Amino acid sequence: MKSTAVRLFLVETGNLYRFAVRFFREGFKPHYEISEFIRQCFYIGNRTLPLVAITGFIIGLVITIQSHPSMEAFGAESWLPSVVSVSLVREIVPVITALICAGKIGSGIGAELGSMKVTEQIDAMEVSGTNPFKYLVVTRVFAAMLMLPLLIILSDTIALYGAYLGVNMKQVVSFHLFTNQIFEKLTFGDVLPSIAKAVFFGFAIGLIGCYKGYHTKNGTQGVGMAANSAVVAAIFVVFIIDLVAAQIADIFHIT
Amino acid sequence: MRTGTKDLPSVICIEGLKKSFGKNNVLNGLNLDLKEGENVVVLGKSGSGKSVLIKCIIGLMDLDSGNIQVFGEDVPRFSPSDLDKMRTKVGFLFQSNALYDSMTVRENLEFPLRRHWIKITKKEIDDMVTEALTSVGLAETIDMMPSELSGGMKKRIALARTLILKPKIILYDEPTTGLDPITAKEISKLMVEIQKKYNTSSIIISHDLNCVKITSNRIIMLIDGICYATGTYAELSMSTDERIKQFFD
Repeated sequence: MKSTAVRLFLVETGNLYRFAVRFFREGFKPHYEISEFIRQCFYIGNRTLPLVAITGFIIGLVITIQSHPSMEAFGAESWLPSVVSVSLVREIVPVITALICAGKIGSGIGAELGSMKVTEQIDAMEVSGTNPFKYLVVTRVFAAMLMLPLLIILSDTIALYGAYLGVNMKQVVSFHLFTNQIFEKLTFGDVLPSIAKAVFFGFAIGLIGCYKGYHTKNGTQGVGMAANSAVVAAIFVVFIIDLVAAQIADIFHIT
Repeated sequence: MRTGTKDLPSVICIEGLKKSFGKNNVLNGLNLDLKEGENVVVLGKSGSGKSVLIKCIIGLMDLDSGNIQVFGEDVPRFSPSDLDKMRTKVGFLFQSNALYDSMTVRENLEFPLRRHWIKITKKEIDDMVTEALTSVGLAETIDMMPSELSGGMKKRIALARTLILKPKIILYDEPTTGLDPITAKEISKLMVEIQKKYNTSSIIISHDLNCVKITSNRIIMLIDGICYATGTYAELSMSTDERIKQFFD
Protein backbone atom coordinates (compact mmCIF):
# COMPACT_ATOMS: atom_id res chain seq x y z
CA MET A 1 0.00 0.00 0.00
CA LYS A 2 2.76 2.37 1.05
CA SER A 3 4.95 1.44 -1.90
CA THR A 4 2.05 2.07 -4.31
CA ALA A 5 1.59 5.57 -2.92
CA VAL A 6 5.31 6.26 -3.24
CA ARG A 7 5.30 4.91 -6.78
CA LEU A 8 2.30 7.08 -7.69
CA PHE A 9 4.00 10.13 -6.20
CA LEU A 10 7.18 9.45 -8.20
CA VAL A 11 5.24 8.85 -11.42
CA GLU A 12 3.30 12.08 -10.90
CA THR A 13 6.51 14.01 -10.17
CA GLY A 14 8.12 12.56 -13.32
CA ASN A 15 5.09 13.51 -15.42
CA LEU A 16 5.06 17.02 -13.97
CA TYR A 17 8.77 17.33 -14.80
CA ARG A 18 8.09 16.27 -18.40
CA PHE A 19 5.23 18.77 -18.55
CA ALA A 20 7.61 21.51 -17.35
CA VAL A 21 10.20 20.53 -19.98
CA ARG A 22 7.51 20.75 -22.65
CA PHE A 23 6.54 24.18 -21.31
CA PHE A 24 10.09 25.48 -21.78
CA ARG A 25 10.39 23.83 -25.20
CA GLU A 26 7.12 25.28 -26.50
CA GLY A 27 7.11 28.51 -24.52
CA PHE A 28 10.01 30.16 -26.31
CA LYS A 29 9.23 28.88 -29.79
CA PRO A 30 7.21 31.16 -32.15
CA HIS A 31 4.43 31.78 -32.77
CA TYR A 32 3.46 33.54 -29.54
CA GLU A 33 -0.11 33.77 -28.29
CA ILE A 34 0.21 37.40 -27.19
CA SER A 35 -3.48 38.32 -27.05
CA GLU A 36 -4.34 35.22 -24.99
CA PHE A 37 -1.39 35.96 -22.68
CA ILE A 38 -2.67 39.52 -22.08
CA ARG A 39 -6.18 38.18 -21.48
CA GLN A 40 -4.84 35.70 -18.93
CA CYS A 41 -2.79 38.42 -17.19
CA PHE A 42 -5.98 40.44 -16.85
CA TYR A 43 -7.98 37.47 -15.55
CA ILE A 44 -5.32 36.37 -13.07
CA GLY A 45 -4.73 39.90 -11.81
CA ASN A 46 -8.38 40.85 -11.77
CA ARG A 47 -9.50 37.62 -10.10
CA THR A 48 -7.10 37.89 -7.18
CA LEU A 49 -6.60 41.62 -6.76
CA PRO A 50 -9.38 42.36 -4.22
CA LEU A 51 -8.60 39.28 -2.12
CA VAL A 52 -4.85 39.97 -2.12
CA ALA A 53 -5.41 43.65 -1.25
CA ILE A 54 -7.74 42.95 1.68
CA THR A 55 -5.54 40.14 3.01
CA GLY A 56 -2.40 42.29 2.71
CA PHE A 57 -4.04 45.07 4.68
CA ILE A 58 -5.23 42.72 7.43
CA ILE A 59 -1.84 40.97 7.70
CA GLY A 60 0.00 44.29 8.02
CA LEU A 61 -2.41 45.49 10.68
CA VAL A 62 -2.50 42.23 12.68
CA ILE A 63 1.26 41.59 12.63
CA THR A 64 1.86 45.13 13.92
CA ILE A 65 -0.75 44.89 16.66
CA GLN A 66 0.59 41.50 17.79
CA SER A 67 4.25 42.56 17.67
CA HIS A 68 3.64 45.74 19.66
CA PRO A 69 3.52 44.21 23.21
CA SER A 70 6.76 42.23 22.71
CA MET A 71 8.60 45.23 21.29
CA GLU A 72 7.25 47.39 24.13
CA ALA A 73 8.50 44.85 26.71
CA PHE A 74 12.02 45.21 25.35
CA GLY A 75 11.74 48.98 25.13
CA ALA A 76 12.11 48.77 21.38
CA GLU A 77 8.80 50.32 20.36
CA SER A 78 10.48 52.71 17.97
CA TRP A 79 11.84 49.71 16.04
CA LEU A 80 8.36 48.42 15.35
CA PRO A 81 7.94 49.86 11.80
CA SER A 82 11.30 48.58 10.58
CA VAL A 83 11.00 45.11 12.18
CA VAL A 84 7.44 44.62 10.94
CA SER A 85 8.23 45.90 7.43
CA VAL A 86 11.19 43.56 7.00
CA SER A 87 9.21 40.49 8.11
CA LEU A 88 6.24 41.51 5.95
CA VAL A 89 8.20 42.20 2.77
CA ARG A 90 10.69 39.34 3.04
CA GLU A 91 8.44 36.51 4.10
CA ILE A 92 4.88 36.96 5.28
CA VAL A 93 3.31 38.86 2.39
CA PRO A 94 4.93 36.84 -0.45
CA VAL A 95 3.99 33.51 1.12
CA ILE A 96 0.45 34.49 2.09
CA THR A 97 -0.17 36.05 -1.33
CA ALA A 98 1.19 32.93 -3.02
CA LEU A 99 -1.11 30.75 -0.89
CA ILE A 100 -4.11 32.87 -1.84
CA CYS A 101 -3.11 32.67 -5.50
CA ALA A 102 -2.60 28.91 -5.21
CA GLY A 103 -6.21 28.65 -4.02
CA LYS A 104 -7.71 31.17 -6.41
CA ILE A 105 -5.61 30.83 -9.57
CA GLY A 106 -4.51 27.18 -9.21
CA SER A 107 -8.04 25.91 -8.68
CA GLY A 108 -9.41 28.20 -11.41
CA ILE A 109 -6.92 27.00 -14.01
CA GLY A 110 -7.28 23.35 -12.92
CA ALA A 111 -11.08 23.47 -13.16
CA GLU A 112 -11.14 25.46 -16.42
CA LEU A 113 -8.69 23.23 -18.29
CA GLY A 114 -10.19 20.13 -16.68
CA SER A 115 -13.65 20.97 -17.92
CA MET A 116 -12.24 21.82 -21.37
CA LYS A 117 -10.53 18.43 -21.39
CA VAL A 118 -13.61 16.38 -20.48
CA THR A 119 -15.85 18.26 -22.93
CA GLU A 120 -13.32 17.72 -25.75
CA GLN A 121 -12.71 21.48 -26.14
CA ILE A 122 -8.94 20.89 -26.08
CA ASP A 123 -9.27 18.36 -28.93
CA ALA A 124 -11.50 20.81 -30.80
CA MET A 125 -8.81 23.45 -30.42
CA GLU A 126 -6.25 21.10 -31.92
CA VAL A 127 -8.56 20.30 -34.82
CA SER A 128 -8.99 24.07 -35.34
CA GLY A 129 -5.28 24.45 -36.11
CA THR A 130 -4.24 25.60 -32.64
CA ASN A 131 -1.55 24.10 -30.48
CA PRO A 132 -3.58 23.81 -27.25
CA PHE A 133 -0.46 23.52 -25.11
CA LYS A 134 0.81 26.86 -26.36
CA TYR A 135 -2.59 28.52 -26.28
CA LEU A 136 -3.76 27.24 -22.89
CA VAL A 137 -0.71 26.24 -20.85
CA VAL A 138 2.13 28.52 -21.94
CA THR A 139 0.00 31.67 -21.74
CA ARG A 140 -1.38 30.84 -18.30
CA VAL A 141 1.98 29.91 -16.77
CA PHE A 142 3.70 33.04 -18.13
CA ALA A 143 0.78 35.18 -16.97
CA ALA A 144 1.04 33.71 -13.46
CA MET A 145 4.82 34.31 -13.47
CA LEU A 146 4.28 37.96 -14.37
CA MET A 147 1.26 38.69 -12.19
CA LEU A 148 2.44 37.06 -8.94
CA PRO A 149 5.33 39.52 -8.41
CA LEU A 150 3.05 42.44 -9.28
CA LEU A 151 0.39 41.23 -6.87
CA ILE A 152 3.02 40.76 -4.17
CA ILE A 153 4.39 44.30 -4.68
CA LEU A 154 0.85 45.64 -4.40
CA SER A 155 0.15 43.51 -1.35
CA ASP A 156 3.44 44.65 0.25
CA THR A 157 2.41 48.28 -0.18
CA ILE A 158 -1.05 47.73 1.27
CA ALA A 159 0.36 45.62 4.14
CA LEU A 160 2.78 48.42 5.02
CA TYR A 161 -0.11 50.88 5.07
CA GLY A 162 -1.93 48.44 7.37
CA ALA A 163 1.18 48.37 9.55
CA TYR A 164 1.18 52.19 9.65
CA LEU A 165 -2.40 52.17 10.94
CA GLY A 166 -1.46 49.40 13.43
CA VAL A 167 1.42 51.46 14.82
CA ASN A 168 -0.87 54.48 15.13
CA MET A 169 -3.37 52.56 17.22
CA LYS A 170 -0.99 52.64 20.21
CA GLN A 171 1.11 55.70 19.51
CA VAL A 172 1.20 58.64 17.17
CA VAL A 173 3.69 58.29 14.34
CA SER A 174 3.57 60.53 11.28
CA PHE A 175 3.47 58.86 7.88
CA HIS A 176 6.73 60.59 7.00
CA LEU A 177 8.52 59.21 10.07
CA PHE A 178 7.01 55.77 9.55
CA THR A 179 8.28 55.55 5.94
CA ASN A 180 11.67 56.89 6.98
CA GLN A 181 11.97 54.16 9.62
CA ILE A 182 10.93 51.52 7.08
CA PHE A 183 13.41 52.55 4.39
CA GLU A 184 16.19 52.89 6.95
CA LYS A 185 16.14 49.13 7.47
CA LEU A 186 14.44 47.79 4.38
CA THR A 187 17.06 47.29 1.68
CA PHE A 188 17.10 46.13 -1.91
CA GLY A 189 18.39 42.80 -0.58
CA ASP A 190 15.08 42.36 1.27
CA VAL A 191 12.88 43.14 -1.72
CA LEU A 192 14.81 41.29 -4.45
CA PRO A 193 14.56 37.73 -3.02
CA SER A 194 10.86 38.26 -2.37
CA ILE A 195 10.25 39.32 -5.98
CA ALA A 196 12.49 36.55 -7.34
CA LYS A 197 10.70 33.84 -5.39
CA ALA A 198 7.35 35.32 -6.47
CA VAL A 199 8.28 34.50 -10.06
CA PHE A 200 8.90 30.89 -9.04
CA PHE A 201 5.67 30.82 -7.01
CA GLY A 202 3.83 31.99 -10.13
CA PHE A 203 5.55 29.35 -12.24
CA ALA A 204 4.67 26.56 -9.79
CA ILE A 205 1.05 27.66 -9.32
CA GLY A 206 0.44 28.11 -13.06
CA LEU A 207 2.22 24.94 -14.08
CA ILE A 208 0.58 22.68 -11.49
CA GLY A 209 -2.89 24.11 -12.24
CA CYS A 210 -2.37 23.54 -15.96
CA TYR A 211 -0.87 20.07 -15.45
CA LYS A 212 -3.76 18.88 -13.29
CA GLY A 213 -6.38 20.37 -15.61
CA TYR A 214 -4.71 19.16 -18.80
CA HIS A 215 -4.62 15.57 -17.54
CA THR A 216 -8.13 15.40 -16.10
CA LYS A 217 -9.87 12.04 -16.38
CA ASN A 218 -13.19 10.57 -15.26
CA GLY A 219 -15.58 13.31 -16.41
CA THR A 220 -17.00 15.96 -14.13
CA GLN A 221 -15.82 14.15 -10.99
CA GLY A 222 -12.31 14.42 -12.40
CA VAL A 223 -12.69 18.19 -12.84
CA GLY A 224 -13.35 18.64 -9.12
CA MET A 225 -10.43 16.39 -8.28
CA ALA A 226 -8.15 18.29 -10.67
CA ALA A 227 -9.04 21.63 -9.08
CA ASN A 228 -8.61 20.25 -5.59
CA SER A 229 -5.31 18.48 -6.21
CA ALA A 230 -3.96 21.54 -8.07
CA VAL A 231 -4.48 23.65 -4.92
CA VAL A 232 -2.99 21.06 -2.56
CA ALA A 233 0.07 20.42 -4.74
CA ALA A 234 0.62 24.14 -5.44
CA ILE A 235 0.51 25.01 -1.70
CA PHE A 236 2.99 22.22 -0.96
CA VAL A 237 5.36 23.41 -3.71
CA VAL A 238 5.06 27.06 -2.58
CA PHE A 239 6.44 26.06 0.85
CA ILE A 240 9.24 24.02 -0.75
CA ILE A 241 10.22 26.98 -2.97
CA ASP A 242 10.11 29.27 0.08
CA LEU A 243 12.45 26.93 1.98
CA VAL A 244 14.88 26.69 -0.94
CA ALA A 245 14.79 30.47 -1.48
CA ALA A 246 15.56 31.08 2.21
CA GLN A 247 18.55 28.72 2.00
CA ILE A 248 19.85 30.34 -1.19
CA ALA A 249 19.45 33.83 0.28
CA ASP A 250 21.34 32.66 3.35
CA ILE A 251 24.16 31.04 1.34
CA PHE A 252 24.66 34.17 -0.78
CA HIS A 253 24.20 36.49 2.22
CA ILE A 254 21.32 38.32 0.57
CA THR A 255 20.17 40.01 3.76
CA MET B 1 -29.90 8.10 -50.98
CA ARG B 2 -27.11 8.25 -53.48
CA THR B 3 -25.55 4.96 -54.39
CA GLY B 4 -23.17 3.74 -57.07
CA THR B 5 -20.03 5.45 -55.80
CA LYS B 6 -17.73 2.60 -56.85
CA ASP B 7 -16.02 4.52 -59.64
CA LEU B 8 -15.43 7.68 -57.66
CA PRO B 9 -11.97 8.37 -56.20
CA SER B 10 -11.22 7.51 -52.56
CA VAL B 11 -10.79 10.45 -50.21
CA ILE B 12 -9.92 8.30 -47.20
CA CYS B 13 -8.23 4.93 -47.45
CA ILE B 14 -7.43 2.92 -44.31
CA GLU B 15 -5.38 -0.27 -44.43
CA GLY B 16 -4.70 -2.67 -41.56
CA LEU B 17 -5.33 -0.10 -38.84
CA LYS B 18 -4.38 -1.37 -35.37
CA LYS B 19 -4.81 0.48 -32.12
CA SER B 20 -4.69 -0.84 -28.58
CA PHE B 21 -4.88 0.62 -25.09
CA GLY B 22 -2.73 -1.53 -22.84
CA LYS B 23 -3.88 -5.09 -23.35
CA ASN B 24 -7.16 -4.03 -24.93
CA ASN B 25 -6.90 -4.35 -28.72
CA VAL B 26 -9.54 -1.94 -29.97
CA LEU B 27 -8.81 -1.95 -33.69
CA ASN B 28 -7.38 -5.15 -35.17
CA GLY B 29 -6.37 -4.40 -38.72
CA LEU B 30 -9.33 -2.40 -39.94
CA ASN B 31 -9.71 -1.57 -43.65
CA LEU B 32 -11.97 1.23 -44.83
CA ASP B 33 -12.44 3.16 -48.03
CA LEU B 34 -14.43 6.40 -48.26
CA LYS B 35 -15.33 7.58 -51.74
CA GLU B 36 -15.87 11.16 -52.79
CA GLY B 37 -19.38 12.36 -51.96
CA GLU B 38 -20.18 9.24 -49.95
CA ASN B 39 -21.66 9.01 -46.45
CA VAL B 40 -20.37 5.97 -44.58
CA VAL B 41 -21.85 5.10 -41.21
CA VAL B 42 -19.73 3.07 -38.80
CA LEU B 43 -21.94 0.95 -36.57
CA GLY B 44 -20.65 -0.97 -33.58
CA LYS B 45 -21.08 -1.60 -29.87
CA SER B 46 -19.90 0.92 -27.26
CA GLY B 47 -16.17 0.56 -26.77
CA SER B 48 -15.68 -1.10 -30.15
CA GLY B 49 -13.31 1.67 -31.28
CA LYS B 50 -15.57 3.76 -33.51
CA SER B 51 -14.53 7.09 -32.02
CA VAL B 52 -10.91 5.92 -31.87
CA LEU B 53 -11.10 5.29 -35.61
CA ILE B 54 -12.09 8.85 -36.53
CA LYS B 55 -9.69 10.34 -33.96
CA CYS B 56 -6.89 8.41 -35.69
CA ILE B 57 -8.01 9.80 -39.05
CA ILE B 58 -7.91 13.41 -37.84
CA GLY B 59 -4.58 12.85 -36.07
CA LEU B 60 -5.84 13.27 -32.50
CA MET B 61 -4.58 9.76 -31.71
CA ASP B 62 -1.54 7.91 -32.99
CA LEU B 63 -2.08 4.50 -34.56
CA ASP B 64 -0.02 1.44 -33.54
CA SER B 65 0.31 0.06 -37.08
CA GLY B 66 -1.34 0.18 -40.48
CA ASN B 67 -1.89 3.25 -42.60
CA ILE B 68 -4.41 6.03 -43.11
CA GLN B 69 -4.42 8.04 -46.32
CA VAL B 70 -6.41 11.24 -46.63
CA PHE B 71 -6.53 12.61 -50.18
CA GLY B 72 -3.73 10.20 -51.04
CA GLU B 73 -1.33 11.38 -48.29
CA ASP B 74 -0.19 9.28 -45.34
CA VAL B 75 -1.50 10.77 -42.09
CA PRO B 76 1.02 8.98 -39.78
CA ARG B 77 3.87 10.73 -41.62
CA PHE B 78 2.36 14.20 -41.25
CA SER B 79 4.28 16.90 -39.41
CA PRO B 80 2.20 19.17 -37.12
CA SER B 81 1.93 21.76 -39.92
CA ASP B 82 0.85 19.06 -42.41
CA LEU B 83 -1.80 17.98 -39.90
CA ASP B 84 -3.04 21.57 -39.65
CA LYS B 85 -3.30 21.79 -43.43
CA MET B 86 -5.17 18.49 -43.58
CA ARG B 87 -7.56 19.66 -40.86
CA THR B 88 -8.71 22.57 -43.02
CA LYS B 89 -10.08 19.95 -45.42
CA VAL B 90 -11.39 17.52 -42.80
CA GLY B 91 -13.99 18.74 -40.30
CA PHE B 92 -14.79 16.99 -37.03
CA LEU B 93 -18.07 17.16 -35.15
CA PHE B 94 -17.49 16.13 -31.53
CA GLN B 95 -19.96 14.02 -29.61
CA SER B 96 -20.07 16.62 -26.82
CA ASN B 97 -20.14 19.48 -29.39
CA ALA B 98 -16.98 20.89 -27.76
CA LEU B 99 -18.15 24.49 -28.09
CA TYR B 100 -15.82 26.87 -26.25
CA ASP B 101 -18.05 27.86 -23.36
CA SER B 102 -16.14 31.06 -22.59
CA MET B 103 -16.80 32.38 -26.12
CA THR B 104 -19.95 33.58 -27.89
CA VAL B 105 -21.31 31.70 -30.90
CA ARG B 106 -19.63 34.25 -33.19
CA GLU B 107 -16.24 33.77 -31.46
CA ASN B 108 -16.65 29.99 -31.59
CA LEU B 109 -17.10 30.16 -35.35
CA GLU B 110 -14.37 32.73 -35.86
CA PHE B 111 -11.82 30.70 -33.91
CA PRO B 112 -10.93 28.09 -36.58
CA LEU B 113 -10.98 30.78 -39.28
CA ARG B 114 -8.54 33.00 -37.44
CA ARG B 115 -6.26 30.08 -36.61
CA HIS B 116 -6.15 28.49 -40.05
CA TRP B 117 -6.44 31.52 -42.31
CA ILE B 118 -4.43 34.20 -40.64
CA LYS B 119 -4.67 36.61 -43.61
CA ILE B 120 -8.41 37.15 -43.75
CA THR B 121 -10.34 40.39 -43.49
CA LYS B 122 -12.96 41.15 -40.86
CA LYS B 123 -15.60 41.44 -43.59
CA GLU B 124 -14.74 38.00 -44.98
CA ILE B 125 -14.90 36.50 -41.48
CA ASP B 126 -18.32 38.10 -40.83
CA ASP B 127 -19.65 36.83 -44.16
CA MET B 128 -18.43 33.29 -43.55
CA VAL B 129 -19.83 33.21 -40.00
CA THR B 130 -23.20 34.44 -41.25
CA GLU B 131 -23.22 31.90 -44.09
CA ALA B 132 -22.36 29.00 -41.77
CA LEU B 133 -25.01 30.01 -39.23
CA THR B 134 -27.61 30.49 -41.94
CA SER B 135 -26.89 27.04 -43.36
CA VAL B 136 -27.77 25.49 -40.00
CA GLY B 137 -30.75 27.86 -39.55
CA LEU B 138 -29.47 29.67 -36.46
CA ALA B 139 -28.35 33.10 -37.67
CA GLU B 140 -30.11 34.79 -34.75
CA THR B 141 -27.91 33.11 -32.12
CA ILE B 142 -24.72 34.86 -33.26
CA ASP B 143 -24.14 36.81 -30.04
CA MET B 144 -25.40 34.19 -27.61
CA MET B 145 -23.26 32.11 -25.26
CA PRO B 146 -23.27 28.30 -25.64
CA SER B 147 -24.85 27.99 -22.17
CA GLU B 148 -27.94 29.82 -23.48
CA LEU B 149 -28.55 27.25 -26.23
CA SER B 150 -30.53 24.01 -26.19
CA GLY B 151 -28.88 20.65 -26.96
CA GLY B 152 -30.10 20.66 -30.56
CA MET B 153 -28.97 24.27 -31.09
CA LYS B 154 -25.53 23.47 -29.69
CA LYS B 155 -25.25 20.58 -32.13
CA ARG B 156 -26.18 22.86 -35.03
CA ILE B 157 -23.68 25.52 -33.94
CA ALA B 158 -20.98 22.84 -33.63
CA LEU B 159 -21.91 21.73 -37.14
CA ALA B 160 -21.67 25.33 -38.36
CA ARG B 161 -18.21 25.59 -36.80
CA THR B 162 -17.20 22.40 -38.58
CA LEU B 163 -18.58 23.74 -41.86
CA ILE B 164 -17.02 27.17 -41.70
CA LEU B 165 -13.73 26.02 -43.20
CA LYS B 166 -15.68 24.37 -46.04
CA PRO B 167 -14.19 20.93 -45.46
CA LYS B 168 -14.27 18.23 -48.12
CA ILE B 169 -14.71 15.50 -45.52
CA ILE B 170 -16.68 15.63 -42.27
CA LEU B 171 -16.22 13.15 -39.43
CA TYR B 172 -19.27 12.95 -37.18
CA ASP B 173 -18.86 11.42 -33.72
CA GLU B 174 -22.33 10.29 -32.62
CA PRO B 175 -24.12 13.42 -33.91
CA THR B 176 -27.56 12.58 -32.49
CA THR B 177 -26.58 11.22 -29.07
CA GLY B 178 -28.45 12.95 -26.25
CA LEU B 179 -31.03 14.53 -28.52
CA ASP B 180 -34.75 13.87 -28.56
CA PRO B 181 -36.03 11.86 -31.60
CA ILE B 182 -37.44 14.93 -33.39
CA THR B 183 -34.26 16.99 -33.04
CA ALA B 184 -32.16 13.93 -33.91
CA LYS B 185 -34.13 13.53 -37.13
CA GLU B 186 -33.66 17.24 -37.93
CA ILE B 187 -29.91 16.96 -37.41
CA SER B 188 -29.76 13.82 -39.58
CA LYS B 189 -31.62 15.61 -42.40
CA LEU B 190 -29.35 18.61 -42.01
CA MET B 191 -26.31 16.34 -42.43
CA VAL B 192 -27.73 15.06 -45.72
CA GLU B 193 -28.53 18.62 -46.86
CA ILE B 194 -24.97 19.66 -46.10
CA GLN B 195 -23.61 16.72 -48.06
CA LYS B 196 -25.69 17.74 -51.07
CA LYS B 197 -24.99 21.47 -50.77
CA TYR B 198 -21.22 21.27 -50.23
CA ASN B 199 -20.58 17.87 -51.86
CA THR B 200 -18.82 16.56 -48.75
CA SER B 201 -17.89 13.00 -47.90
CA SER B 202 -18.57 11.82 -44.37
CA ILE B 203 -17.81 9.12 -41.85
CA ILE B 204 -20.57 9.02 -39.30
CA ILE B 205 -20.32 7.19 -36.00
CA SER B 206 -23.79 6.44 -34.74
CA HIS B 207 -25.96 4.10 -32.71
CA ASP B 208 -29.14 5.81 -33.75
CA LEU B 209 -30.81 3.63 -36.40
CA ASN B 210 -33.00 6.50 -37.62
CA CYS B 211 -29.92 8.61 -38.19
CA VAL B 212 -28.19 5.65 -39.87
CA LYS B 213 -31.16 5.13 -42.18
CA ILE B 214 -31.41 8.81 -43.16
CA THR B 215 -27.72 9.57 -43.61
CA SER B 216 -25.98 6.42 -44.83
CA ASN B 217 -24.97 5.49 -48.37
CA ARG B 218 -23.11 2.56 -46.91
CA ILE B 219 -22.76 1.03 -43.45
CA ILE B 220 -19.70 -0.61 -41.96
CA MET B 221 -20.19 -2.98 -39.04
CA LEU B 222 -17.23 -2.65 -36.69
CA ILE B 223 -17.00 -5.89 -34.70
CA ASP B 224 -13.90 -7.26 -32.94
CA GLY B 225 -11.87 -4.33 -34.27
CA ILE B 226 -12.38 -5.17 -37.94
CA CYS B 227 -14.86 -4.35 -40.65
CA TYR B 228 -17.14 -7.35 -40.08
CA ALA B 229 -19.66 -6.50 -42.78
CA THR B 230 -20.48 -3.72 -45.17
CA GLY B 231 -23.53 -2.86 -47.21
CA THR B 232 -26.47 -0.49 -47.51
CA TYR B 233 -29.04 -0.12 -44.74
CA ALA B 234 -31.49 -2.30 -46.66
CA GLU B 235 -28.92 -5.06 -47.21
CA LEU B 236 -27.67 -5.21 -43.62
CA SER B 237 -31.10 -4.93 -42.02
CA MET B 238 -32.13 -8.05 -43.97
CA SER B 239 -29.02 -9.98 -42.91
CA THR B 240 -29.45 -13.36 -41.23
CA ASP B 241 -26.12 -13.11 -39.41
CA GLU B 242 -26.90 -12.98 -35.67
CA ARG B 243 -24.16 -10.46 -34.90
CA ILE B 244 -25.53 -8.05 -37.51
CA LYS B 245 -29.19 -8.72 -36.78
CA GLN B 246 -28.84 -7.68 -33.13
CA PHE B 247 -28.20 -4.07 -34.22
CA PHE B 248 -31.34 -3.86 -36.34
CA ASP B 249 -33.78 -5.78 -34.13
